[in-house]
Amino acid sequence: MSLKTLLKSGFTLEIYFYKNNRATFLAMFLWPYLMLALILGMGYLFGSPSAFRQNVRMDVDPVVYYVASTLIAMSALSVMWGVGGSILWYKWSGTLPYMLLSPNRMSTTLVFSFIPRYMLGVLIQLAEFAPLIMLIEGVSNGLVKIGILALAATVGMIPLLGFSALFASFLITIEEETNVLSWLNPLILLFSGAFYPAYLLPYWARLISQILPTTYTVELARLAAIVGAPPLAPITFLIGILLGIALIYNSLAYLLVGYGEKKAMKKGAI
Amino acid sequence: MVLTRIKAILWLHTLRLWRYRWSFLNYTLAVTAWIFLFVLGALLFVPKEYLGLAVKSAFWVIVAWNVISECSSLIGAWMNFFISIGMIEEHIIRNISPFKVILGRVVTSFSVIFVTLFFISAILNGVFKTNVWSVNDSYLLALSFITLALQGLAYGVTIAAISVRTSVPHNMLEIINFAVIGLLMIPLEKVPNFLAIPFLCIPYMASAHLAKIGASGAQPYMLLEALAISLVETIIMLAIAAYMIKKSEEWIRRNGVRAIGFF
Repeated sequence: MSLKTLLKSGFTLEIYFYKNNRATFLAMFLWPYLMLALILGMGYLFGSPSAFRQNVRMDVDPVVYYVASTLIAMSALSVMWGVGGSILWYKWSGTLPYMLLSPNRMSTTLVFSFIPRYMLGVLIQLAEFAPLIMLIEGVSNGLVKIGILALAATVGMIPLLGFSALFASFLITIEEETNVLSWLNPLILLFSGAFYPAYLLPYWARLISQILPTTYTVELARLAAIVGAPPLAPITFLIGILLGIALIYNSLAYLLVGYGEKKAMKKGAI
Repeated sequence: MVLTRIKAILWLHTLRLWRYRWSFLNYTLAVTAWIFLFVLGALLFVPKEYLGLAVKSAFWVIVAWNVISECSSLIGAWMNFFISIGMIEEHIIRNISPFKVILGRVVTSFSVIFVTLFFISAILNGVFKTNVWSVNDSYLLALSFITLALQGLAYGVTIAAISVRTSVPHNMLEIINFAVIGLLMIPLEKVPNFLAIPFLCIPYMASAHLAKIGASGAQPYMLLEALAISLVETIIMLAIAAYMIKKSEEWIRRNGVRAIGFF
C-alpha cells in the first residue's frame, strides 16, 4: 500500500465523515468561535485589553492573540486525538488487529492517513477566522498574519505527529483502557502556554513546556498578534526549533511504535 | 415497594460509580484542567490588584455552569447508553420507569460536580492566594444552587425523554452548554432596563443572578424579581419534564423505543 493511498484514504474518510455527520460538521464551525468568545467574553467582562497587554508584557492585539491560541489549541487537540487517541478507538471497535496486519507499519498508517484530515481541518478553521483577522488588521496585513498562522499550523504539525505517535505507542504498550489523553491534553495545552503564556508559568512548569512541541507552535502563531509587521528573525528561529524537535520525536516514534506493536502482537493485547 | 425500587436505583448508580472510579477520576481531572485553562486565559485581562475578586466571581460562574452542564449531560446523555444496551424495554416489562433509573444518575452527576469543584477551588485558592469559598449570603447561595440543579435535572430528563422518540444531536447539546456559560457571565446591571426581566426569564439566568448576589455580596439588584422568576421557572421546567416523561412512556408502550438517542 503506497503512501499516496494512505493519504487518499484519510481524505476520503474525512469527507464521508462530514457528509454523514452534518451536526458534527456544523459544530466544527462553531467550536473555535465559541472557545474564542468564552475567553474574550470573560476577559473583557472581568478586565480590559490594556491590563492584558501589561500582563503579557507585549504590544499585541488580544483578539488576534486568542485567535492564534484557539487555532493552535484546536489543531494540537486534533493531532493528539487523531493520532494518539485513535489507538483506543481502534481497540474498542475491534479494528486494531487489522491495522497491525496492514502492509505498512502502524506509525506510518496512523500518521499518513491523518495528515489530509488535519490539513482539511486547519484550512476550514483558517478560512473561518480569516474575515475576523482581516477586519482587525486590514486586508494586506491580515493576509500576512493568516500566512503566519498557516505556517505555524503546518510546521507545528510535523513534531506533533511524532509526539502523538509516541502516545499511541504508550497506550498500546501499557494495555490501558482508560482514556488518559482526555486529561493529559488540557495539561499539555496548559504547559504549552496555549491560553496563558508559558513564560509566565512557574519555573518547574517552564521546564516541562520546553520539551513540548506545542509550546513553539503557539509562540510562532502568536507572532501574528504583534501589532505591526511580524519580526522575521523569531519566525525563522522558531521554525528551526520545530524542525529539530520534529526530527527527534519522529525518530523516537518510528522506533517505539514498532516496539509497542511487536509487544502487543506477542502478548495478544490488542 | 416504592422505597425498595428507589434503593435499588441508587445502589445501581453508586455501584457503577465505584466500579468506574478511574474513569470518574479521569473525567473530573479533565473537566478541572479545561476549566483552569480557560480561567487562566480570561484572568490575563484582569489588573493584578483585582485578581482576587475576579477569581472569586469567575469561580461562582463556573460552579453555576458546572451544575447545569453536568446535570444535563451526565443525566440526559446517559439515555444513549441506556437505549443501546436494551435497558428501556427491560425496565418497562418490570413496570419500572426508565426515567426514574435515569434520574438516579444524580448520584454520578453530583459526585462529579463536588469533586471537580473541590479540585478547582483548591487550585484557584493555591495559585491566586484567595478564598473562593468565603461567601456573602450562604442561604441565598444554597437556594440558588438548589433551583439551578432542579432546572438542570428537568432539562436533562426532558431531553432524555425526547431522545427515545427522535434523535438529539449531542454536539448541539454541548454548544448550548457553552452558550449558557456566556449568558451566565453577563451581569444583570449591564443589561438595559427594559430587557432585564426578559433576560431573567431565560432558563437558569434568574437563579444564576441570585448565586452572584449570594456569593459576592453585590448590590441586591432586582433580588425579589429574580427570586420569584427563579422559583416559577423551576416549577415550570419540572412540570414540562414530568409531562414529557409521561408522554414518552405512553409513546414507548405503543410504538417501542426508537433506538436513536443522542448522536
